[in-house]
Formats: sequence, C-alpha cells, structure tokens
Amino acid sequence: MSDKRRKWHERLQVTLWTLIVPPTVWAVHFLFAYLWAAVSCAKTGFFAEFPTLFTAGTVLALATISLSGWIAHRQTRLRGDPPPHERGTDIDRLRFLAKSTLLLAGLSFVGVLFTALPVVFIGDCR
Amino acid sequence: MSLHDQDDPALRAAQEQRLREVWAPPKGLFLRWTDTNNNQVGNWYVLTAFAFMLFAGVLALIMRTQLAVPDNDLVGPGTFNQLFTLHGSVMMFLFAVPMFEAVSIILLPQLLGARDLPFPRLSAFGYWSFLLGGVFVSGSIFFDAAPDGGWFMYPPLTTRTDLSGLGADIWMLGLSFIEVSSVAAAVELIVGVLKCRPPGMRLNLMPLYAWYILVVAVMILFAFPPLIAGDVLFEMERLLDWPFFDASRGGDPLLWQHLFWIFGHPEVYIVFLPSIALFAMLVPTFARRHLLGYPWIVLAAVGTAFLSFGLWVHHMFATGLPKISLGFFSAASEAVAIPTAVQIFVFIVTLWAGRVVWSTPLLYATGSLAIFVIGGLTGVMVALAPFDWQAHDTYFVVAHLHYVLIGGTLMPLFAGLYYYWPLVTGKKLSDRLGRTAFWLIFVGANLCFFPMHLSGLEGMPRRVFTYPADLGLGGLNLASTIGSFVIAAGVAVIVLDLARSPWRPRSPRNPWQAGTLEWLAHPEDENWGIRSIPLIESRYPIWDQEDFVRKVDEGRYFLPDAEEGRRETIITSVLDARPVSVIRLGAPSWKPMLTALALGGVFILTTYHLYWPALLSGAATLAMVLWWLWTGTAEIPEKPCKPIGHGMELPLYISGSASPGWWAMFITMMADATAFSGLVFGYFFFWTRHEAFPPPEMASAPGMVWPLSALALGLAGWLATIAAREVHARGGVGMARILLLFGLATSIAGVPAGLSGPWFSGMDPTAHSYPAIVWTLAIWTCLHAAVAAIMLAYVLARSLAGRMTPSHDADIRNVAVYMHFFALTAVVAYATIGLFPEVA
Amino acid sequence: MRRSVAGKFLPLWPLMLAGCNRHQSALAPFGLEARSTLSLTVVLAAGGLVIALGVAVIYAIAARAPEGRLTHERGMRLVLWLGAVFPTVVLTALLIWSLPAMRPLPATGQDLHIRVEGEQFWWRVAYREAGRDPVLSANEIRLPVGRTVVFELTATDVVHSFWIPGLAGKMDMIPGRTNRLVVKAEKPGRYRGVCAEFCGLSHALMAFDVIAMEPAAFDEWLAVARIPPRPTDSAIYHRGEMLFAREGCGSCHAARGTPSGEIGPDLTRYGERLTLGAGILAPTPGNTAAFIRDPHRFKPGARMPAYRHLRQDEALALAVWLKQSGAQEAKR
Repeated sequence: MSDKRRKWHERLQVTLWTLIVPPTVWAVHFLFAYLWAAVSCAKTGFFAEFPTLFTAGTVLALATISLSGWIAHRQTRLRGDPPPHERGTDIDRLRFLAKSTLLLAGLSFVGVLFTALPVVFIGDCR
Repeated sequence: MSLHDQDDPALRAAQEQRLREVWAPPKGLFLRWTDTNNNQVGNWYVLTAFAFMLFAGVLALIMRTQLAVPDNDLVGPGTFNQLFTLHGSVMMFLFAVPMFEAVSIILLPQLLGARDLPFPRLSAFGYWSFLLGGVFVSGSIFFDAAPDGGWFMYPPLTTRTDLSGLGADIWMLGLSFIEVSSVAAAVELIVGVLKCRPPGMRLNLMPLYAWYILVVAVMILFAFPPLIAGDVLFEMERLLDWPFFDASRGGDPLLWQHLFWIFGHPEVYIVFLPSIALFAMLVPTFARRHLLGYPWIVLAAVGTAFLSFGLWVHHMFATGLPKISLGFFSAASEAVAIPTAVQIFVFIVTLWAGRVVWSTPLLYATGSLAIFVIGGLTGVMVALAPFDWQAHDTYFVVAHLHYVLIGGTLMPLFAGLYYYWPLVTGKKLSDRLGRTAFWLIFVGANLCFFPMHLSGLEGMPRRVFTYPADLGLGGLNLASTIGSFVIAAGVAVIVLDLARSPWRPRSPRNPWQAGTLEWLAHPEDENWGIRSIPLIESRYPIWDQEDFVRKVDEGRYFLPDAEEGRRETIITSVLDARPVSVIRLGAPSWKPMLTALALGGVFILTTYHLYWPALLSGAATLAMVLWWLWTGTAEIPEKPCKPIGHGMELPLYISGSASPGWWAMFITMMADATAFSGLVFGYFFFWTRHEAFPPPEMASAPGMVWPLSALALGLAGWLATIAAREVHARGGVGMARILLLFGLATSIAGVPAGLSGPWFSGMDPTAHSYPAIVWTLAIWTCLHAAVAAIMLAYVLARSLAGRMTPSHDADIRNVAVYMHFFALTAVVAYATIGLFPEVA
Repeated sequence: MRRSVAGKFLPLWPLMLAGCNRHQSALAPFGLEARSTLSLTVVLAAGGLVIALGVAVIYAIAARAPEGRLTHERGMRLVLWLGAVFPTVVLTALLIWSLPAMRPLPATGQDLHIRVEGEQFWWRVAYREAGRDPVLSANEIRLPVGRTVVFELTATDVVHSFWIPGLAGKMDMIPGRTNRLVVKAEKPGRYRGVCAEFCGLSHALMAFDVIAMEPAAFDEWLAVARIPPRPTDSAIYHRGEMLFAREGCGSCHAARGTPSGEIGPDLTRYGERLTLGAGILAPTPGNTAAFIRDPHRFKPGARMPAYRHLRQDEALALAVWLKQSGAQEAKR
C-alpha cells in the first residue's frame, strides 16, 4: 500500500505521544473545569446559570477524544500479520499502540462525562 | 567477528574472563561500598527499605498496644503523636517508594537484557541519600525529637514555632532530601525503560513491569515536585517567618493542603502500581500462558496515572470548598476505579484461560487481591463526598487505606519476594514457612483492619492516643490490636525464612519456568547481568524463541565481550528498540557517596539552623557534582565505533535527543518545571483568596522595570546558548566560545536584576503573603540564572580543555535543554510578578 | 480453604455488635444529614459486599477452570464487560445519586446561626440570632429539634474539624476561613461531638456535648441565657468570687458578674454543663478542683497554667462557686 493511496488518518500514525492525547484532553478539561469553578466562586461568589463556555469546552473535549479514538480504531484494523498480534513486527507494534489509544480514548470519554456531571447536578457555589 | 566465532569454547571463556574482570565488584572492607552495579546497590536498597518497614511496623505495634483498651496510659500523647507521624512517613517515604525503586534497580536491567541501568552512579547516589536521610528522620524518635504533626504536616500547627519543635524541620528537610533521591531514581528508570531495551524489544513487546515502571516514574516527576515546592514555602515560613500559611498575614493553611495532596494522592498510585506490576509478571508464569489483554494493562496503567492527578481534593472534602469543586474530584475519584477493575479482570481471565499452577507467590497474589478488592470498594465509598464527610479522618479511612496498601502494596511485594528470591540469591524460600506467614498476615490483616470500619463510623477519629470507655469501642479496638500482632507474627515468620535462606539448597535456574528475560539470571551469580544482549521477538522469549537461553549464554547475540575493559550496554531507539549506540557506564567510585554526604549536610545542618556550615556543605556539593560531571560524563571515546557482533557497528558517542544524558536533563527539568509551577500556583492561589491582590498598599511593587530587565537578560542568555550550539556544530568553535561568554555574562547579570525588583521597592517578605511569594518566585528564578551561569562556564571550560568538540558536543546540547526550561521559568516568573499586578 | 477463613471470623461478630454506642455514632443518627448519609452507607456497604463476593466467586471459577476453557475473545469480552462497562454503569449511578445529595440544606438569615471556633483544645460557642446580641458559651452546643441551624465554623490557632457523628458529616475549622454547615436535628437527646482533625497534643481530648432540645424548651433556655447573671448573696458566693478575682481567673475566663476575659472558655453557665474540660470529665466539684490545680494532668498542652498553690479547700470553693453559676438560672 503506497503512501498516496492511504487516507490521511492512516498516515497519521499513532506513537507514544499520540497515545497520551485522550487522557491529556481529559486532564486539560478537568483542570479547566476545576480552575474555572474555583476562580469564579472565589472571585465572584457565584457560578454561571448556563455555563456556555463550559458546555462548549466539554463538547470540544469529547470531540477531540472521539476523533483520536476513531483514528486509533481505524489503525487497529490495519491488515497485516496474523492474530493474536503479539509479534515484534511493525504492524503489530502499530496495532498495539492503536488499541491502547482506543481504550484510553474510551476511558477519557467517560472521564470527561464524569467531570461534566457536577456542573449539571450541583451548578452553584455553595 | 562472525556468528561462528562463538563456537569456540576458548574464545567464549576468554570473553567471560574479560567480562568478569570488568564487572567485578570492588573488594575490601571499605572499597566494597563504592560499588555502583545494580546488583549490589539494588540489594542494599531492598534490605534498607525492608529494615525501615520493620521499624515502622514496630511503631505501629506500640500504637496498637496503647489503643488496645480505653483510657490506656502506656504512652502519652507526645510519644503517640511521634509514633503515628513516623509510622506513616516511614512507611510511605522510606519503605513503599524506595522499595519500588530498589526492586526496579535490581529487576529492570535483567528484564531489559541490559548490563546495568544507564546511570549506575546516580542509583548509588540515590541510595546513599536515602540511607542518610532515612536514618536522620527515623533516628529522631530515639531523642524524643521526632516529627509529631502527622505525615501530612498541616500548618499552622507545624509551621508555628511556638506549637511545634525541631521535629517539623527534621520531617521537612530530611524528607526533602529523600524526595531528591526519588526524582533521581525516576530519571534513571525512565531513561532505562526508554533507551536501554534490547534490540527488537519494541514497545509492544516490553515486559509489563517495565510499562508500569515507566508510568510510575513519570508520575513521580509530576507528583513529587509540588511537595518540594510546598517544602520550600514551609521551611521559609518556619525558618524566616514568611507567612505563606499564616492567615493573619494574608497566607492560607489550605495552600499547603493543596500542594501536599497534589503529591499525596498520586503517591498512593506510585506505591500501588509497581506492586501490581509484580502481578503482571507472576500471573502469566503461574497461568502458563501469555497475559491476555496486554493493551488493557497499558490502558489501566496510563489511565490510572492521569486520573490520579485529579483526585487530590478528595482528601479535602471537609475543608469547606465549594461543593461544585468537590464534585469534580468526587467524579474523578470514581472514574479511577474503572482502570483498577480492568487490571483485576485481566489477571482473572489470564488465570481462567491458562493452567493454574499453585505456588506460594500465587497464594500471596490471591490473598492480596481479596484484600485489595475490599479496600477498593471502600475507596469507592469514600470518594462520594456525603459519605466521606462522615468517614473522613476516622478509623474508617484507616481501615480503607490499610486494605488498599496491604492488598495493593505490601502483600504483592511479599508475593514478589517469594517469586524473585531465587533470582537474586539462587535459592528458593520455604513453601511451608511462606504459607504459614501468608495465613497469619491474611487473617491478621482482616482481624486488625476490618473492625476499624465500624469503630470509625461509631465515632472514633484518627490520630487519637486514647478514647473514652463509654464510647463502647473497647472490643473493636482489642480485636484490631490482636490482629496487628498476628500480622507481626506473620512478618516474623518471613524474616525467619529469609534468615534461614543461606542454608537452603541451590534452586535450578528459572525455577518457576517463567518466560520473561529476567529469568536468564544464573544461580551462579555473575555480575555482568547478561552474557550477551539478545534480539527479542516475543513477549516471552524464553518460552517462544528457539534455543534462546543457550544462544544468550554462548554469547551468540550482541555485545558478548568487553575488549576495552569498560562496562558497557546498548542504547536503542524509543519506539522500536533499534540499536543506536554503545555507552560506557560508570565504574565503582566514591563520588556518589561523597556527593550524597555533602548534599545531606545541606539539609541536616539547616535543620539545626547552622546556616554557614550548611552553605559550605552546599558549595562542597556543587564542587562534587562538577567533579563528577567533568571526570565521568560525555567522555570522548578512543575510537568512534565498536562492533557488537553480527556485523553491526555502533557509535560510542552520541549527543542530542538520542543520548541518555539529554533525556536525563530533559526529565530532570520537567520535574524542576513542575516544582516551579507549584510556586506559581501559590501566587494565583493567594490571588483568589484576597479581594485585592496585590494588596492596595503594595500594588506598585515590584514594578515592571526590573522584572522585565531580568527577563531580557535571561532570554539573551538563552538565545546566546542556542546560537553557540548551532555555530559550534558547524565548526565555529571560537565564535561559540564568545557566545557562551556572552550568555554567561547575561546570566550572571540576571541575578541582581531579578532581585532588584522586590529589593528596591522595599518589599518585606515577613509582612504579608504577597511580598513573600514575589520574593520566592524571584529567588527561584535567580537561582536558576546562577545555575545557568555555572553550566555555561562549565561548557566553556570543557571546550577550552578539549573535552568538547564539534563532533562531540553532548555538553552544550544538554545545557541547551536546561536553557530552554530556564527561559520558560523566567518568562512565567517575571511576567507574573512584573505584569500580573497591572491586570489584576 | 474458603470455609476456614469464614470460620476464623465467626467469633468476631458478637464483638462487633457489642461496639454500639448511641451518642457519638454515624450509625445512630439524630439529624437529617446523618440519617440520609446512613442510608447511602447501607446501600454502599451492601453493594460492596455483593461485588466483593462476586469477584471472589469468579476468581475461584477462574483458578479451577481447565486450560483453554476460556478463549482469547471471550476473555477479552469479560474484561470489557465486567472490568470496564459494569463499573462505569455502577459508578455513574452512584454519582447521579450522590452529587445532588452534596447540596447543603437551604438556610436563610432568619435561621439560628451558631458560631463555633476551635482552639487548642476546646470550643468557643456563640448563638447568634438576627438582630440580637450573641449568647456566649463553650464546649457545649444546644440545638432545637426540627429547625434548620447554621454552624459558622472557624479556628483561631490551628486546623480543627467539627464533627457530630449523629447529626451530620464533619466540617473543618480553618484559621482565616469561615465554613458553613447547615443541619437539622430530628431527635431530642444528649449526644457528643469531637474534633476530627489532628490539632496537637490533646487532640484526643477535644470533645463537646450536644443537647438536642424540643423547640419550646430551647427557646426558653436561650431566653434565660440572655439574662445577665445576678449576684447571689451567700458566703460561698463571696468566697468563690474573691478567689476568682484573687487568682486572676478573670483575665482569661468570663464568669458571671466578673470582669470578663476572652482567652479561655466562657464559664458563665458552667453550672449547667454536662462535662468538664471539653467533654472529658464529669463536672463534679472534686474533678473541677483537681482540674484547676493541675489541668495538664487531664489535658496535656492546655494553655491554662496550673494552680497548684491553691489549697484543696480553696480549689474546691472555686469549683462549688462555678458549679452554682448558671445552674440556678437554668432551674428557673
């Protein structure tokens, strides 16, 4: 398969750095949510009625995680060496990183949703 | 050299003789302690950490005896407070963390088929620091001077010198010293896992233990530095009266709680994951099959590492923070249960799919899973804030954390002890004694800690030296006390088993028929680690690769010889483990030990307010470090390349991002930047705590001019270094020296410029938290400017001495990494103190 | 093997049941918050037990299964469903249940506010009603049943934590901060609270009494407490007052009709207190006298100096005088 015929998401290969994209997105979203709540409660004493910024940030985080999960998912399907994909070949190493990224994307997705729950169910500064 | 050369037994014997000589440990009563080889240092490390565990266990027994009956007076509150403070601190800082580092120092080179870790002298330095700091902290109890503020050391109880004594300084400075050694170990382990794997061991073939250690070491980099930042503020308040935690002068005790728990919660996972990593090694062995779900374990380890940094406030649920903030942390604390459950089920299905061979290590693993699951479930309970408001700071939490740590750290370590003892000593431990000890510990732990769930909910707070009889908790407490002695009996049986081990028969090689690399170790212990560095094609090479053990033993793989009489190992690439170079490792030396002594002097002398001797000791440390670097790093080899067998030739010198030294600098500076961000967090934390910050009467200090001038000087030094690096690489040695000199001058000038802002605006750091934190940021940055100056001077000297040339330029490339981080620090610090008051 | 473990635990059960107390226990609630937390606790504990047993059973099956019984695919499906999906579902449900429960009870400025300050190693208490002078007390808290009460919690020296297990969860008292804890008592009775954050030498000896009263009785008590104490004309009164003044007790303590110090606990209504020394001793004259002569015997690290030079009869006279204060008013 030549490089030209590959789609863009197949060319964007997973590495040790892309592995940590989904959890990093969770971490950034979490930190942003916490700092935002802490600063607005400490400085203004109240929390937005309808937190537009927070909603947008959450959607953006979920989208980024989904995208990185989808790319990883495509790469776990790369054809090549036979199962169980535990050999020291290029394709198996790639499939391993892709699979781990996909799983981390799942966990991070849940993590971001969990972070959004307090805003839905508490929503004020008391 | 061709493959068939290894057929000649005489050649092999000659090679072995050379390797043996090169790797021979130093002999002699004193000289033997100069050894740096991972086998020796690792063993000292494990034994020392084990001794600290026994010590802390005895402290616990005294506490349990005091609490056996209500209104007891075996020990008074003064002693009791020292006991529980030391028990927690020693178990965490002197047992759990060092034990994982120690086990990794022993195992990791074996697991990775390396001769040693990349920085053996750094490991030795870490060990001596740990020993010195550990003895200093624990010994204090024999002088009735032990820390008595709890292992969490909450100010103002611990910062007010009228309410707490020398113990607080001993804790803070002694343990800061040990934190330094933990960060050193993290550097060693990360570089070891990423760069010292055998050829062919791609990321997906790495033993899971190495995955866990990589993750945990990275966690240390981000978890320990906030505590170091907290320690800095804490000692500034105790020694110089800078009011960071004094509410009457604009400080806030909660700042410490944040910094402590940003460290403290990841810490729990730092001691838990390496123990689970031992499971990941022994479960496949006793299931007689590959571990199912390798990527799931990587998910669990990486996921836990990330989530663990979003949990810290669950130790602060009762501090009155807005409920919405608590909600975020409650949610993350629940989420972390998911990767934990994944790990447990991966082990279960592996056993399910395989053929289970019962053994003492597996028995320990089973028991610890049972205990850990209970601790994990109570963890889910306390992660819910409404429940935690009742359970927090009661014996319920004592029960929870001991279930987690006994099931998640201690018993897996015992499993590892029984599993790996033959690897280290060539002898198996007794199955009979092992099983007896297991049942004593298992039953004792449940008897000791299960009743505490109830005594906590029935109103027994933690850290009480006694409790009234009419609370009706005498029975539960007596049960706990009996349980604690049953555990102690179990541990005593293990100690007995270890003591009898030298008289037991030798076990065969690889007695459990495991499949991973570390079991290549020979019972007739050779110090060289591995005879030849293999080519890896499977996760379980001993099981899967044909004739693997014989080929390794006959030196048919890489680097089977030590022709130049140097200790060497192979450096490979990060993702795919392609051979990159051969590095020369440090030989036995006094330097690590002496450097640790000098650095220890800084901390210990400061504890006793002996500032001039402490300063002298600091100068000695600096001199030692420079001597060490000058004589032992970036050495220009006698020839550019060397053959490693199979027709491969590898360079003996590399610089830049392919080299371990560059990675070590990068990783160290990540830790440094994290500590710095802890201080910056302090600045903005104070901002949220005050209506007006800076306070109106100080709003014009330190002004913009001086901070921005200092920033300009810092950036000039940074640019000069980058230019010098580039010019130097292109052969312009003279120009590079001039640029270095310029960078040196601007860095030195940056120190007074940075301090002038707060100085000339007359900021009194004892008056309020604002001047105190501004001074702290300025001093931190200026210290970094001073270090930059020293480094640039060092590089210049290396160039002048002919130890750095355009083709051998590791020194300047490593210093450039430092300068990147320094520039970042300067930008953030000076923008904060100079510009933020304008917009706040 | 499994049965023998259970067997080892059997003798423990009666012992655990024996541990019940009714006055300082989250398992014996008398307040709204503690009661709802207890139902959460029961559900969590029962659920946890079921899950722990479930894992044990699965482990036993796994360890006994012959090799190859579980294929790779089915194994991975187990990890996915039991290891990942099941906990996610359970935890989501728990969060959705517990997050709304974190919201404090609604309270208004008209509700009774009780300010409590933690100090090494006692509690300064002030009852504050809108538009009226505060009523000062120490080491004892009285609450009206059925009404919302707002605690304003802070500390002057070090961090303490305010915990009445039967009433509600705990809340830290932190110098420089004032935390609110809104509660509603539901059952009258005598209970006990303690300091839950380690605060120094006598942390274990820092407790207080909690008396939940019927609203009418509470209103009457508070009304009486507002009346400035009147001197009683008796010999014992004069001797006590003389000793209190001579020894300079008033520079730290407020007591009825004396120049009031604010350093130590307010002793104005000491006579009606149920305990002495922040919940550690019965307030008999003998104990009181012994405490005055050597407080550190009972409370290591307490700020109060020892009055060993007082003769036993003098200390006793002081104790009797203190004991009478407040008691009479309360009886009226």
